[in-house]
Formats: sequence, structure tokens, C-alpha cells
Amino acid sequence: MAAQEISVHQLAQCITCHAWSPDHSMIALCPNNNEVHIYKLSPDRTNWEKLHVLQKHDQLVSGIDWSLRTNRIVTASHDRNSYVWNQEGSEWVPTLVILRLNRAALCVQWSPKENKFAVGSGAKTVCICYYEQDNNWWVSKLIRKKHESSVTSVAWHPNNILLATTSTDGKCRVFSTFIKGVDTRDSKAGSSSDSRFGEQIVQLDLSISWAFGVKWSPSGNTLAYAGHNSMIYFVDDVGPTPLAQNVAFRDLPLRDVLFVSEKMVIGVGFDCSPMVFAADERGIWSFIKYLGERRSSLSGSKHGSQISGAFGKFYGQSKLGASNDALEPSRSRGGVHENCINCIVPLKEGGSSRIRRFSTSGLDGRVVIWDLENQEDLSQYL
Amino acid sequence: MAGAEDFVEADNAEAIITRIEHKSRKIESLLKQSKPVEALKTALEGSPPKTRDERCKSANWIAVHRAIMAIKDVDGMFSTLDPEYYDVLMKYLYRGLSTGDRPTCDQCLRIHEKLTEKAGLGCILRTLADTVNTV
Repeated sequence: MAAQEISVHQLAQCITCHAWSPDHSMIALCPNNNEVHIYKLSPDRTNWEKLHVLQKHDQLVSGIDWSLRTNRIVTASHDRNSYVWNQEGSEWVPTLVILRLNRAALCVQWSPKENKFAVGSGAKTVCICYYEQDNNWWVSKLIRKKHESSVTSVAWHPNNILLATTSTDGKCRVFSTFIKGVDTRDSKAGSSSDSRFGEQIVQLDLSISWAFGVKWSPSGNTLAYAGHNSMIYFVDDVGPTPLAQNVAFRDLPLRDVLFVSEKMVIGVGFDCSPMVFAADERGIWSFIKYLGERRSSLSGSKHGSQISGAFGKFYGQSKLGASNDALEPSRSRGGVHENCINCIVPLKEGGSSRIRRFSTSGLDGRVVIWDLENQEDLSQYL
Repeated sequence: MAGAEDFVEADNAEAIITRIEHKSRKIESLLKQSKPVEALKTALEGSPPKTRDERCKSANWIAVHRAIMAIKDVDGMFSTLDPEYYDVLMKYLYRGLSTGDRPTCDQCLRIHEKLTEKAGLGCILRTLADTVNTV
């Protein structure tokens, strides 16, 4: 992998989440505190200038999403509130959204039409928020009593109605979020639009441990999510009779996933290197390779993933990293990211749904931009 | 109603025990023919027994333990043991380590080291995270 295909930016000590402006010139990120920092890349693409600091939350910001068309930022925080930020002149003006939660908000995402957003929370609920013109106010509608534990991730189906969630009760669920007056009954959306608000379409009980990082494929036909037991799950025909595939992999669990095409998924997590999964022509998913592994193998044993060092001590010798490299010579961990990656965001090219670039951020405070354009071995899946 | 379910469970347990006894005899004969890896594969097949019955789990563990202790050449074992056995073998290694028995722990640690190299940390995580299909 040539150097220009990975660009690494050290923007903080630790980053909990990040999001890009519609034209990708600015990035909003939370440096592991109650603030959101907005940086702009200088025209010569060498350094970052801090433009704004959004200060309104009282506690850690756990989710940021920047809408593509309406240029609004939504943030969710452990302080149990959300803010929608509108740019007025050179200022970002916050509007409080009272989520009516009694536990932390954990994740947030704009719906594809950007007229709603979903917040997952530690209160075992999902909030669907929409703007009420009459009252000039964001209203939060709750989906209660469906989750048995915290909601770790939310993902919108392209039809703007269905919402997938993952939870620490190990389950992945799909709900209808149809709101009268906001959504219109659309014949194209099929049977899904007939459901009432909060109706559970399906509950997937594949994982036996915490589930994280759910995403839909670009067409909305396939769903992927990760389990905390080093498994990733792919589900086709989401509905009454879903078709599921479990893929086990050899390294530490994933925190988030991203579909770059119908047949290819990038998984990021505790292993520090993004993993590529792809479906063959029969639709069977498997692990393909790690991204960013052609780094000097020296760093491999030194940084390792987080617990391999501890295992080295356990065996009375720090050779685990080395022996892993011996098995897979090109494999070295910790070259690009040096700690758990907890966020992956697509960089969509103007107007098209094509994804060739994406960014990752993690506990090492780095934002890394990856480009899949010249990866010949992956082009068949793109 | 609950009584009926218990009966079905107990009946099922008897069938599993019979199967494990049959398996044990096969393991003994394979060990006599000096085929320890074949014996281990036989022991791991059908594990964990699909029941919550502790008697079945213990009976199966005794069979697996017999096969694990007969492994002399750990590297050689992995050249013929298919990856599909890795996850369940890891579960039995942790069961072995939990016994605290010195020779068992020594043997389990030796295999654990090689298995971790082969199957990665993901295999350990799946073992630790699985609270449903315990061995």
C-alpha cells in the first residue's frame, strides 16, 4: 500500500467519535471530553486549523453526525441530552433536544432524508427525534421496553423508515420508525411502511455476547453487525425469515463496521487494524485481509494489540507478537492506529453512493483516511 | 408440566451418556492403535453436549481429558487437526485449567500456547464470552 493511500492525522489524545462536513473540508470530533472540536484542513493539506469549539454538553460526547444536505450537526452525550447545531454566519448555534432519558445517550445518526435522527441510550431505549415546525422544537419519541440492555449502535435503512439497533443484550433488532406527518406512506417502500411507530420487524439472536456497530448495505438488503466474541454477523432478507451468516475471525473483537459496497465490509475495533470482509459470488462472507499491514514489522511486537503484551508475560516471554508475524509475514499490528478503533465513517463522493474512501478514529487520538482505489486485490468486490 | 419436561431432559441425558460411553470405547481403541489425534477428534465431536445436564458434561470432559493427556507431539497434532475443532478445544483447555490438577494444567498450557498461535485471540474471546454452550 503506497503512503498516499493512508493519511494519518494526530488531532487529539483520544477521540471518541468524529464526523465530516458535507464537502469533507472540515471534521468534527470529540477529544474524549464534553466538547466538540471542528478542524479545517489547510489548503496545502499539511496542517489542521481549529475553527470552532462547540461547548454545551456537560459530559462526554458519545456521538456526532453531520448531515450531508442540510449541513446540521447533531451530538449526543452522556449528559442524557442531544443538541442540533445550525451554522448561522460564522457561529454554530445549538438547539437543545430533550431526549427524556434517565441514562447516557450513546450513539446518534441522521436518517437518510435528514428529517429525523435516532439516538441509542443506556436507558434501554431508542429516541427518534423529528422537527416540529409549529413549535420550533425537536421532539423525541421513544421506543421503550424492547431492549433488555444498552443500545450501542443505530443504523438507518435507506428507506428512511426502518432502523436497526444493536444492544449489550447481544441482540440486533429492526424497528419501524414511521411518524405521521413526517413520513409519507410510500408505495416504493413496500410493506415496511405499513408498520406503526416502534413496531419490531425482527429480532436477531445470533450473538451470545454484546453486539456493536450495526450497518445496512447501500441497497438496504444486507445487515452486518459485530459481536464482542470476535464474530461478525451478516443477515440477508431482513424480515420474517432472515438468512444469517456468522463469521469468526482470529483476532480481537470489532467495535464498528462499514459497508463500502454490497459485497465488501470494513470492520474496525480492538485489533487496531481495519479488517476487510467480502462476499464471494455465492454470497458467502469471509475474512479477506487487514488494511495497512505493509508497515515495518519492527513495530509489530512492540505495540501489538492491547492484550498481546500481557499474554507475552503470561507465557514468561514476549514472543506472541513475533510468532504471529512468523505465521503471517506481512502482518504487523499497530502501524497506523496504535489503540482500539471505535469509529469508522464513509467519505462519500459528491452525489454518488460510491464509497472508495473512509476515515477511522480511535483511542490513540488519530484520524486515518483510507483509500481503496488502487487496491487491485479488492477491486472485484467494489 | 415441569415434571414432564424434567423427565424428557433426564431421558435425553441417558441417551447422551450412552453415546459418550460408546465414544469413550472408541477413544480407547484409537489410543491403543497410537492414533492420539484421531482420538482427540472423536472426543471433541458432538461437543459440547446439547444439554445443561452436568453429568453429561462431566462424562464428556472425562473422555476429552483422556484424549488431551495422550497428546505427546503438540505441533504434530496441529498439522492434522482441522480449524473447526479449535473453538471447542479451547473451551476444554479452560475447563482443564480450572481443575487445578498439576499434570492436566501443564498439558493444557502447552496446548493453549500453540492453539493461541494458530487460532488467535479471537478463539479465546469466543471461549470466554460463550455462557450458553459451556462444556
